[in-house]
This record gives sequence, C-alpha cells and structure tokens, in this order.
Amino acid sequence: MLKSDEDSDDEVYFANMPDFGDHVDNAIFSQILEMDESDHERDFSEPLVINFFEQAQDTFEKMDQALASRDLNELSTLGHFLKGSSATLGFNKIRDSCQVVQQYGHKLTVDGVSEPDENVCLKKIAEALQAAKVDTAELEKQMKKFFGAE
Amino acid sequence: MADFAGGGTAPAHPDLGLLFDLSPLPSLLLSPSWRITRASARFLEEWNPSPEACVGQELLAFVQNQLSPSPVHLKFLTTAIDDAIALRTERTSMLINTRRSVSWRARVIPYFKGDELLAIVTEWQKNLFTDDEVQPGLSTDEAFRILVQAVKDYAIFLLDTTGNIATWNTGAELLKGYRRDEIVGKHFSVFYGKEDLDSKKPEMELEICMRDGRVEDEGWRYRKDGSRFWANVVITAVYKNGVHVGFGKVTRDLTERKSAESRLIAAYEESEKLKSDFLANMSHEIRTPMHGMLSACALLLDTSLSSRQRDIVGIMDESGQVLLQVINDILDYSKLASGSFSIHSDIVGITSIVTSVVRSVQATLPPSVHFEMFLAPDLPRSVQGDPLRYRQILHNIVGNAAKFTEKGSIRVRAGVQREDHDSYMVMTEVTDTGIGIPEAAAASLFTPFTQFDATTTKQYKGTGLGLSIAKSLAELMGGSIGYRPNPERHGSIFWFTARFKKIKSLEQIQDWKSRLVRKGGAILAMPEADVVSLRQKLAEVASIKSLLLVEDNVINQKVMLGLLRSLGFKITALASNGSEAVNMVRSKPAAYDIILMDINMPIMDGHQASKAIRDAGILVPIVAMTAYALKGDRERCLEHGMNDYIPKPVDKKYLIKVLAKWLLQMKDYRKIFDEQMNKLRSYESLTPSARGHVADRLQQLSLTVQGEEGEGGGAATPSDRSVEHKDQSDSHGAQSSDDTINVVKPTSQEEHQHTSSMVSSPRFEPLLPPVQLEMLDSTQDIGLMVTGDIAPNARGSQISAEAVDSGGDTENSTSGTTATTPLDPPLDSDKSTADTTHRGAATLLP
Repeated sequence: MLKSDEDSDDEVYFANMPDFGDHVDNAIFSQILEMDESDHERDFSEPLVINFFEQAQDTFEKMDQALASRDLNELSTLGHFLKGSSATLGFNKIRDSCQVVQQYGHKLTVDGVSEPDENVCLKKIAEALQAAKVDTAELEKQMKKFFGAE
Repeated sequence: MADFAGGGTAPAHPDLGLLFDLSPLPSLLLSPSWRITRASARFLEEWNPSPEACVGQELLAFVQNQLSPSPVHLKFLTTAIDDAIALRTERTSMLINTRRSVSWRARVIPYFKGDELLAIVTEWQKNLFTDDEVQPGLSTDEAFRILVQAVKDYAIFLLDTTGNIATWNTGAELLKGYRRDEIVGKHFSVFYGKEDLDSKKPEMELEICMRDGRVEDEGWRYRKDGSRFWANVVITAVYKNGVHVGFGKVTRDLTERKSAESRLIAAYEESEKLKSDFLANMSHEIRTPMHGMLSACALLLDTSLSSRQRDIVGIMDESGQVLLQVINDILDYSKLASGSFSIHSDIVGITSIVTSVVRSVQATLPPSVHFEMFLAPDLPRSVQGDPLRYRQILHNIVGNAAKFTEKGSIRVRAGVQREDHDSYMVMTEVTDTGIGIPEAAAASLFTPFTQFDATTTKQYKGTGLGLSIAKSLAELMGGSIGYRPNPERHGSIFWFTARFKKIKSLEQIQDWKSRLVRKGGAILAMPEADVVSLRQKLAEVASIKSLLLVEDNVINQKVMLGLLRSLGFKITALASNGSEAVNMVRSKPAAYDIILMDINMPIMDGHQASKAIRDAGILVPIVAMTAYALKGDRERCLEHGMNDYIPKPVDKKYLIKVLAKWLLQMKDYRKIFDEQMNKLRSYESLTPSARGHVADRLQQLSLTVQGEEGEGGGAATPSDRSVEHKDQSDSHGAQSSDDTINVVKPTSQEEHQHTSSMVSSPRFEPLLPPVQLEMLDSTQDIGLMVTGDIAPNARGSQISAEAVDSGGDTENSTSGTTATTPLDPPLDSDKSTADTTHRGAATLLP
C-alpha cells in the first residue's frame, strides 16, 4: 500500500512551492495549485486565495461582533464556517484556531469536554480569534509574495 | 542494786529484757546508731543467724547479708526507720523480697526520752501470699500473673470449661474495650460476628481445641463498641493434674498487618496490570514499524533483483513475518492477561470460516499431506458471535497441525455439540497424523511460553503462546479447549468448543447485514485498482455525468468545482444549503448521478437534506463530506440515508476512488428503479398487500445493491443496448399501468426524455454487471464460500457462476470465480423471471 507512484506528480508541485512552514498543509495546497492551467498564470488558485482572505476578514469582523454580544452560538457557526474553507485550502494554523472557536462556542474544550463557564469560553475564543488574525495576516503576506513572485 | 540492775536474780515482775526475748514476733533491738543490741529468741529461730553474727552488727549490713535484697528493697527498710525516727511513731516498711521466695516487712518503733532517741525496736513480719485473684484450681505463679496482667499488646485470658470468661488482662481491656467486671462470667462468643455465630464457630473452636489441644484462627472479632478488628486467636486447652480446667485464649490485633497485606496485594496487581499494559503498548508500537518494514520488503521483492539479493530479501521477509507473528501473539496474550480483551458480537458463518482457514493453510502444505473437512449437516449456517476470534483459534490449531505434520492427513470436523433455546455449542476438532505429543508434555500444552520442543535445535518456531491464547479465547467464547492423542495412528487431536447465539429473527440478520455492508463501505470496499487508471476510466464517463454539489462555503465550492473539473466533470450543479438541494433534487428526481453533500450548513444541514431526499423515494447516491470526521460520524451519515462519505479537506485520490465506486461500479440507481419495476410486474399476480410489501422491500434493498466492477467494460452489442432501452420503456409502461406503487416517476416530459436519452447513451456500456446480491439474500442465508476442490462434501456446494451471471450480461460470465450468494428463493426465481423478460424482450426486437 505504499503510494510512491501516486505521489509522484504531486512532488512536482511540492518542488515549486515555497515553504509556508506549519501554516500550510503542502499536500492539500498543492492539490489546489494543481488545478491551475499553468504554473505561471495561477488563475484558479490566486483568486481563490484572495477570496479566502476576504472571507477570513469578513468572518473575523463578524466574530468580533459576536464576541462583543457574547453570542456563543454565532461564534461556533462562524468558527465552523471558516474552519471549512481554511481546511480546504490546507491553512492548518487558521483551521486549528477556528476549531477552538467552534468548540468553545459549543461550550466544549478542544477535547470535547464540557466547559460550562461562559467567561472561560469567551476568553478562549478571544485568544483563538487573536491568534487566527495574526496567523492570517502572516500567511497573507507570504501568499502575496508567492503569487506576486510568480 | 547493782545485782538487781545487772539482772541475774528473779525480780518481782518479769524483766523487760525477758519479755523482749519472749515476744512472739521476731524482733531486733537497735541502738540509735542502728546497731543490733539484742535479738529475740523468735528472731534467732526464724532468721537463724549465729548470735555473734547478729548482736553488735550494723542493721543494714546484717539484713544485706541475711536476705540479700535488692538495693531498692533495702531502701524500703531505711526509709521506714528514717520516717519512724522523724515522726517519732511506728512505721511499717514495704515488703522486702528476698532470694528465698520469702518476703518480710519491718515494723519500726522508735523509743525517745525527751528529744533523745534511746533505742529502736524492729519487729519482722513474714509475708504470706494471699492470692485472691486466681480462681480455685487455676492458681498460678505471682510473677507469671503480673506478666500476664501487665501485657498490653495481647489480650490474654482464661475461659472455664464451658467457654465463660474467667480472667481479663490489660491487653484484653485495651483491645476489646470491655472492663474486667463487665466481661468476666460472660461467654467468649460475644467477640464473634454474626456470621461466625451462625456457623457455630466459637463452639467448634473449643471442640477442635479439646481434640487437638490448641486451635488457631484468623478473622474479624468485634469490640464492645461494635467496631471490628482482624484478629489472630490462639486457644489452648488448660489442664491441671490431668483434669481439664478451662482454656487459655490469646488474641492479637492484626488489622494493621492485614491492611498492609492487602496494600501489598493491590500494589502487586497494579504492577501486573502495568506490566501487561506496557507489553500491549510496546507490542503495538513495535507492530507499526514492523508493518512498514514488511511492506517495504514486499515492494523490494517486486523489483528486479539478482538471485542472491532475492534470497536475502526473502530471508528478511520471512523473518519479519515470524517476528510479526510473535509480536501479535504477545500482544494478544498481554491483552488477555490484562483483561482488556473483548469479544465482539457479529455474524459468523462457521462453514465459510472453516473453509477459508483450511484453504489458507492448505496452500502452505506439501502435497504429501491432504486435508479432509467434515461439516456436520446440523451446523447452522449463520450464528452470532465473534468471527475473528473463532477464526484465530481455528487458524492456530490448524496451523499447528500443519506445522507438525509432514505426511498423512489433517482432518477438520465441525458440528453442533449441544443446542439450547438460544445458543449453539459448536465443537471443532482437528485431527492430524503428525509427530504427536509426548504424554509428559500434554499437561503443560496450554501453559503460556511452553513449547514441548524444548530441544536446543528448536526445529519448530514460535513463542509457545499460541495454544494458551487459543485457550483464553475459547474460554472467553464460553467454551473450552483440549487435546487427546490420535487413537487411530500417530498424531494428535485438538478440539475446542465455542458458544454462539442463535439468530432469532429476520430483522436481526438484516440489522447485521446492513452493518456488515456499512462496515465494508467506503474504505474497505474501495476499489484497489490504482488511482491513475481509475481516473482515466472516470474521465471517460465524466463528461456525461451530472453532479450536484451541496456546499455553503464559497471557497469550498470553488475548490470542489475545480477538483471536479480537473477530473473531467462538466455538469455540476450547485446548492448552497440543504433545503436548496432538496428542492433541486425533488424537481428533477433523475437528473443527478451523484450528490456531494456537506453536512454542516445553514438553513438545512446535510443529514436532514439526505433524509428528505430519501423520504421522497429518490435513490440517487449521496456522498457526505465532513471535516474532522470523528468515529461515528460516518455511521451517522449512513443512518441518514447517505451512501458514502469523504473526509474534508477532500483528498483528490480519495475523491477519485469514491466517485469511481459510485459512478463506475455501482449499478445506476435509475436502473435499479427499472429493475424493481420488472420485479414488481412479475408480482402482479400477488395480492395488493403482498405487492406493497415487496415494493417496500425492493426499494429498501436497492439502496445497497452493489455491482461488481465492470471488467473489460468492452463495447456492448447494439442488441444489448436496445435491450436496455426496451427494458427502460417497459418499465415506464409498468409505471403508468400501476399507480398504486409508490415510487418516484419523472415529473415532466422533458425529464422523461432526459432519462431515456441517458439510458441509450454509451455510459451504460458495462451493461448490468453481475449483481453481487449481497443484500438480496438477507432473508435466508449468509454467504457460504465453498469451493469444490476443498470440500466436495461441504453443504451449500458451489453456486455456479452462470446462475449469478444470468442476471447480468453474458460477457461477464468469466468474472465470477466464486459465487458468494445463495439466493433467497423468491427473489431468485424473480431474478430469473426478470431475466427471462429481459431476454424475451430482446428476441422480440428485430
């Protein structure tokens, strides 16, 4: 069940990819890049990634509002939403923070243990949101560089 | 006067000195300086000193000489004299013990004239023991009595002949909480608990004690306040001059020791468990890289190697396999030992397990050994139990037989040993003509880590754990295991029994079956063909497949669309929530070939949407897509009517496999629909209620009907295609003629055309691949895998490939090597009816 032969065409893309560190799951992101017609005109991935950052920005704003009105349900929904797209693009760090937001929005810890204290939940969400914003900003910079350089 | 004063002559009244001499008390007259000036006759008689050793001597020195008292006791005397002088009154000293088991007290009388001390008289009283504390007949020595009295750590007391308490010491008081006056005279059984009293333990103890002289016991005893302590009790029969006078009882409090013991035991058990857990964990950790190594070896063997290299890799591979077996054994054993081994409950086809074990072992045997397999006719085809564990035991025993048998035969026999209302005890017996087992080794066969081949050459490999694991497993399955020598010739017979539950109802089977199918769902039943060729095949049909993607997140939509486009799919409809999707599917029930469904969506989630689609009777395959799938998520998806599942983020290869499975291998749901119509038509002679039942059944079953991979997939002949076409139109005819059957019909003419045009398109080319009717047999039988060469006498025998293939296309008749499907008779006959219709229709066409 070794998949060496299957992976071979991915490796081409791996080779073309800069190292995004633990921000990005290379296997997944390369799958996105693979859908571009050519490596020079990233007409699929580039707008997609730009789109993602818009979506992230939008979601963060909504999260800030929900956080201000202590709306855990809304936070959980928003967390899940952004988790979905960040996971799809392989943006792991953002995905993980969104997971935290989603879980605590359900009054659960990351391990699924009940956390009845709303204040604790809101605090954890605020922390995760902050981390997500920082990671997103950092990743956006890297991505711009990546797409700009090509 | 001098004469008078000097004594000698008889005076008118007795001389004072004479009176002193005649005193009945032994007396000494002392000077103020404590020197003896006179001793009475009685004194000399009692103490028996020589007169010169007495008179004129210093008192203390004299007493010291005579009595040899301890300094403490001599001090009693000086204290008494000092006190008497100081108080000018008589004083009696404390008892002065002597070495001669006699003790004395001195009464001291000082004589004063004015302030001048003239003389001191000491009168000596011999002390007699007046031992009022010891019962008559039980008198004991003072020292011993004090000792017993003073001991605090032991309760020591005497019982009379009937068991009533006669004495009580400090230890007893401290230990049992009773004071002496409370307890003396009571029966000693008050110290016992109810349970002991009920079993007449106190009486029995005295009885045993009378017989054996003593009895010792450990157990709970009770204090006055009702609390209990763990006691060690020794009762000894006491005799005086050969007459039984009572019992001596010594009780020790062992509560501390007892709890220390239990702590030790607990610690031991804990460490045992830790050890087992450690073993289990380690074995597991070792196994993982081991698998990696073995896979690498297997790959290496597939490359071009020189014969020498091949030999070496072969050795690596073989050793790896042996090591893996050893690790698996240890893992099982440690799991069994730590009690963390569980037996699963599943459906078991005993015949198929026996057959497959025999077949796999047979492959490793030299031709000089032949297998015989006897499956008793009363052996149930399917029962409930743990198929894997049954297989493991059987494999171990059959494997052993194969290992130790070089020529002759190995016979496997399985049958029902006994049967009760809800279970079977299945006996499986393996007889070989191998080297047999020496009598001495037979006893330790099932002991862990023993192998009877303990010779240094170690001709036979293994951990020696196999049989002990088999034993534990058999016991876990409610059975047992055993060995006896082969009576016919050299060799051995190993047998084991296992209890299996009967399968009570049809529902139960269906429940199991559907679980089996689910279990075998996406990953296990995933086509193993490599992704590249799957992708090619998929690309061939992709352009005419119509997909519905249900996904709320724009980013995910785009990525999925991109992925699907890259695979060649051009017609992909989009819905951004469940409710939209349901509306789209309802308005065009036959439009989509597959639906890819996100689960967590606003307005209506994927579960609800799938349920709504199924409730509308639409059988289109629905594949769930969820992020971070947890265990159980998959099952939830399947429960809500979805057919398969892709974890998010979607992996392209996984997507290819799932799409290939549902678009290439599974029978088109619209065709299942047509088939149902055919079947229903042939049931038209049935009563309406029966028909309704059949319709329900078919609809339910068709959800999971699978088709085998269309091998070859070569072009169908034109007549085949027209058969399909004809078939299709027939079914529509049926539809319109029978409105009572509740199935979904295309809603518009346009839709109808769409369906028809699809039907005649080349994408149906692997026409009706042989249906692996896994679900259709659920009323009666579970797959029975028997091949003719192994078990010509096994029941069920072989189902001819044609029988199955007749439902499909003739081109595929070669694909079914082993049929796995005894058919449900009504469906079977229906199948042939349908088939007849099929062919009949074909001949009708020009």
